[in-house]
Amino acid sequence: MSEIIATYNLSKRYGDACRVKNVNLSVREGEIYGFLGPNGAGKTTTLKMILGLTRPTAGRVTVFGKGLEQNRRFILSQTGSLIESPSYYGHLTGLENMRVVQRLRDVPDRNVEEALRIVRLEKQKDRKVAQYSLGMKQRLGIAMALMSFPKLLILDEPTNGLDPAGIGEIRELIKALPQRYDMTVVISSHLLSEIEQTATSIGIIHEGMMLFQGSLEALKNEKLPTILVKTQNNALAQELLARKGYLPARDGDFLAFENLGDDQVAMLNRILVECGMDVLRIEERKKNLERIFLDMTGKGGSL
Amino acid sequence: MLGRCISAEWMKLRYSHIWAILVALPVISVLIGCANFYMNQGVLTKEWYSLWSQVGLFYGEFFLPILIAICCAYIWRLEHLNKNWNMILAAPVPSAGIFLAKWIVVGVLLILVQAFFVLLYFIGGKTLGLNAGLPQELPGWLLRGWTAGLTISSVQLARSMRIRSFAVPVGMGLCAIFIGLGMYVARLGLFFPHSLLTVGMGVLSQTGLSCGENPVFWLMNILYIGVINTGAIWRMRKHDRVA
Repeated sequence: MSEIIATYNLSKRYGDACRVKNVNLSVREGEIYGFLGPNGAGKTTTLKMILGLTRPTAGRVTVFGKGLEQNRRFILSQTGSLIESPSYYGHLTGLENMRVVQRLRDVPDRNVEEALRIVRLEKQKDRKVAQYSLGMKQRLGIAMALMSFPKLLILDEPTNGLDPAGIGEIRELIKALPQRYDMTVVISSHLLSEIEQTATSIGIIHEGMMLFQGSLEALKNEKLPTILVKTQNNALAQELLARKGYLPARDGDFLAFENLGDDQVAMLNRILVECGMDVLRIEERKKNLERIFLDMTGKGGSL
Repeated sequence: MLGRCISAEWMKLRYSHIWAILVALPVISVLIGCANFYMNQGVLTKEWYSLWSQVGLFYGEFFLPILIAICCAYIWRLEHLNKNWNMILAAPVPSAGIFLAKWIVVGVLLILVQAFFVLLYFIGGKTLGLNAGLPQELPGWLLRGWTAGLTISSVQLARSMRIRSFAVPVGMGLCAIFIGLGMYVARLGLFFPHSLLTVGMGVLSQTGLSCGENPVFWLMNILYIGVINTGAIWRMRKHDRVA
């Protein structure tokens, strides 16, 4: 699998504020790459730099293995995108908006029809876009991005403004794209649940820095599980263990320990047993992704 | 490539209100001009030439530059709204294509406006009972007026591309009209876009350009268009745009 997008120490500074810091993003062919981060984390800025809509202050971007500056038109001809909110000309109908893009991209009529059919806008295509609902504008934006059936599709928050049925529908559509049309897809979102259900690979960005990049599986294994211990007398056990340097938290009937390796768990057990304290349960609790994501990005950090 | 950009640009003008402006402003200038001519027939004795001095004054000096400013502001407003910058800059077309397509579309609209204006001038003259033949300078005035119109379009397009507001570039265009008038009075008319229009269309003096002035007129237009269009395209390439 070849690398479709790669960024090297990509940075963007606005005045004194660093919006994106040394981001090394890597998207491989055929992936659905979920770009995840709270609002204002730098997702859109990064995607805009990948498309050449914004110039990086440092670092560089390659798409399809080619430098962006020198091969801008080639790259853009193979890339469909929907950035920020959908672009549209309100005084034109949906179909006429598609025609504007069709003329700029030089694609045949059947692509226009196919794209409208995929997002299910065929029946509304003769209405002025100014009268569209937000969800319909979003669909139109996706249709415009899909129109040339590009090798690379970049969708910034594609489910914004869609109703639950629409979200499900677009999610299924995105999942099908790599096999059906041989596409590589990048989607950004601030919702983990969104990314979790579609992406094959994820990148987590926070305050302009890439915190994690890899598969969902790797993310789950990133953090050690919480160890829960239940004893005859938790209060006494806690006191005993505190003397040995363990600082558990009370969690219902259990004492909860963070970041313990196997050796430490065995040691802990031995201490309790040697003191004559019966250990009733030792369990491990895997952190769910939501928890890991929040730990990484910090609850206070999200707006 | 440029053809694709132009045809996309043309598509965007559908159902647009800009057509109303393109029709209304020449009509207003000819109506005011004809009324002025009618009421001052005692002094305005040179038939078509006198009518031109009246009609052309309002059209070439005021309404045409305003029309151009509105047209250019409108054509960029389409992109300033609804994040459309993201779409056109992510299209596989060169920045030059985007800017030049807009400039050419404005140029085509100006041909239509000039043609419509001269038709109104003819109808106005006939209605006022002018019998002599049309001035032989007329095609020259129209052609030079159109050329100077292209120069003003470059200036206004470059401004409206940078400034998101609709009114500010139009207001700047209005100021430029008065600066142009000042330049004309100071006999520097050949060196400022708006006074090039005054000179080229022969609105304040119908004597026409001398042999020496004619090449300067063309050269200045080409120079202004070349420099401003290149600058605007360069800016589009180099500067980030907040959509």
